[in-house]
Amino acid sequence: MLRISRRFALVVVTMLAISLLSLGGIAAGQSRKPFEGIKIVVFGDAGQNLKPFEWYKDKIKEESGIVIDQVVGVPFTSVYEKLKTEFVAQTGAYDVVVFYPAYLGEFAGLGYLMPLDDFAKKYDPKLDDVSTGVRELNCKYGGKLYALPYDGDVLNLYYRKDLFNNATEKANFKKQFGRDLKVPETWEEFLDIAKFFTRKKGDKLAGETLKEDFYGSAELAARGFSYAWWLARFGSLGGVYFDEDMKPLINSEKGVKALELFKESLKYSPPDVMAYGYEELKNAYLEGKVAMVIQWSDIQKKAQDPRISKIENRSGIAAVPGSRVGDKIVRSAPMPVGRVLAIPRTARHPEAAYWVARYLSVETSLHDVSSSETGLDPYRKSHYANPKSFAALLGNEEAAKEYLDIVAVNLENAYPELNIPGAGNYQDVLDLYINRALSGEMTPKAALDAVAKEWDQITKKLGAARQKEIYLKAVETWKALGIWQ
Amino acid sequence: MNRVTAAPVKGRDFNSWIDKRLPVLFVAPVVGILLTLAIGPLLFIFITSFMSWELVSAAAPQFIWFRNYLNIVLDSRFWNAMKNTLILLVGGVGLQLVLGLITALLLNREFKLKRVVTSLFLIPITIAPVVVGFQWRVIYHESFGPLNYIIRMLRLGNGFAWLADTRTALFSILVAEVWQWTPFVTIVLLAGLQSISPRVYEAANVDGATPWQVFRRVTLPLLKPTIIIVALFRVMDVFKIFDLVFLLTGGGPGTASESVSLYTYINGFRYFSMGYATALAVIQLLIVTIICMNLVKMMKVRRA
Repeated sequence: MLRISRRFALVVVTMLAISLLSLGGIAAGQSRKPFEGIKIVVFGDAGQNLKPFEWYKDKIKEESGIVIDQVVGVPFTSVYEKLKTEFVAQTGAYDVVVFYPAYLGEFAGLGYLMPLDDFAKKYDPKLDDVSTGVRELNCKYGGKLYALPYDGDVLNLYYRKDLFNNATEKANFKKQFGRDLKVPETWEEFLDIAKFFTRKKGDKLAGETLKEDFYGSAELAARGFSYAWWLARFGSLGGVYFDEDMKPLINSEKGVKALELFKESLKYSPPDVMAYGYEELKNAYLEGKVAMVIQWSDIQKKAQDPRISKIENRSGIAAVPGSRVGDKIVRSAPMPVGRVLAIPRTARHPEAAYWVARYLSVETSLHDVSSSETGLDPYRKSHYANPKSFAALLGNEEAAKEYLDIVAVNLENAYPELNIPGAGNYQDVLDLYINRALSGEMTPKAALDAVAKEWDQITKKLGAARQKEIYLKAVETWKALGIWQ
Repeated sequence: MNRVTAAPVKGRDFNSWIDKRLPVLFVAPVVGILLTLAIGPLLFIFITSFMSWELVSAAAPQFIWFRNYLNIVLDSRFWNAMKNTLILLVGGVGLQLVLGLITALLLNREFKLKRVVTSLFLIPITIAPVVVGFQWRVIYHESFGPLNYIIRMLRLGNGFAWLADTRTALFSILVAEVWQWTPFVTIVLLAGLQSISPRVYEAANVDGATPWQVFRRVTLPLLKPTIIIVALFRVMDVFKIFDLVFLLTGGGPGTASESVSLYTYINGFRYFSMGYATALAVIQLLIVTIICMNLVKMMKVRRA
């Protein structure tokens, strides 16, 4: 008969107890992860702005149990067509989608997206912390929450501080224009300064002989987003897309004046400015070829990167110029692109998808918008209150504070993109004719009249009553924000 | 008795029924596949082209007969795109044929490294259109492009904004298209030249024909079927031009370089106007079919 010693029995019992306890612990630990094993697929425009999904893959899995199975990227300009095709076919291929809020009205209005209000009650997306413009214009539709902010794109004015502070240039400007050289407040001042700084090869600029032509300003004038550079002028003049009966107001006096101002500025831009998209415009500024540009918020971060910039510590940022109304200057900063995170109605795991979207929008956003490895821009008050996080990127804390303050101001002056069904179509037509006017194919008036005519046709084609109903919902928000006077 | 005689009659009937229909049975699967894969989608496109089908709105598709076609006729942007496409077609294919013929004639003689040179000619054809587009974008770049660099170096001016100027955008696409596809024309024509019997040339020489007379009266007539075939391929291809336009200019500035294919794509995948886009596609199909039928007819006339 096998005899078991008392000590041996004690060891066995203790080990069994420890094993059971640790198994129980693991089980308890596992049950704390709310979405253990759920796989989700993310969709967005390929490149730097999808990086955070890769960075936090492991952390998300550790905290929630969610596995980010795939991050699908498509070219920047193909986001709409790819998403629309998936939504129409109801493929349910994606759980979290990153897109530009101009499409929110259409995607939410046609029922492609899931309202997030219930999830927001469960997991707080901290919307009070978000800039009003981003929260109200980019994330909501018809009073409901359909998206969480991910990127606070807004246009800002960038200028060469060294040139604006140069004593000779200041004196010459005063002699020529009878006033001090300072950052332009209005579009007319912007043109004067652009004209002043436009010089030929061999001329002097800030005491140095130019080895090549230098230009006062540059614009994004290539097909795609040139309409937003026009909107900056149109909005400041008090222009709106349609009246409350859906009659286009795009070809109003304000519209024509805005286009004339835009066209005038091309006289002081590099000769190939009509081919300038984001990259070309950024490069012209960073290579020190122009004195001023109006661009997205990431440019100031890039201007400080010596690997790509020749104007390190020489770039200033300011509010986008405006129009003088009485003794007030009305400014309008469009928010083209600007990414949001949303959950398709066909998503297989909507709650888990929301958890991931919220994680990126709330928990990691400060790091992501202050990283040089993404093109994401600040949009939360907690971002503006943290210049320290941006100090390394912008040279020092003071520069970071100046940058964040200006971005916050421009976001408060935000001008909405048209986000009703068919927005892509309306915007493309607007962009096309603006481009035709800029290239001299048509006069500004003729171009905008053509836009108005085509917009009428689009509205009729998509159903005038329904379009009006959706547009009026947007107008309510704009009125509340003071955009619609 | 009747029963005995009836059976063979029935058997014969069945056999003759089988004999008559057996070919049909053999062909049926192929016809089925063809109908499903080729004719089916084509029919779908034809039917859709008579509909108003706006995927941007929630409205159901509606049958609107010929309204899409009527709108196309009245659409100035379509005519502008058609004009651009025809400029690319006539200019591009014309230049490719002329340059291709010249290079084929030069390659059709013995010289050192002939094989290497002929192989080098194949390179542009093998490059992916995306790469060609990128390569020419760099070449045409206003500030860094080698083309403007050479112009400045030779003091011919400050260079041009090749892709950003309404006067040069379409021309720039045409040059890239000619660069990529002239070698294809060269290779096909070279094959055509090499298939002409040397005896014909010997006879022409015996008759005292000058080199120009040999080219005009012997080479060209004998090469004509090959020229027509290569023209047929290029016409079909250039009429559908999309990639180079999309990559180099996106149709801009404005609509200065927009082709019919790009305009169709914009309607289909940016505006999601499926009816209008398919009507545009049908029109393209009809035009390219008519052009090709005429070219084939020319070839038959030559043979006759």
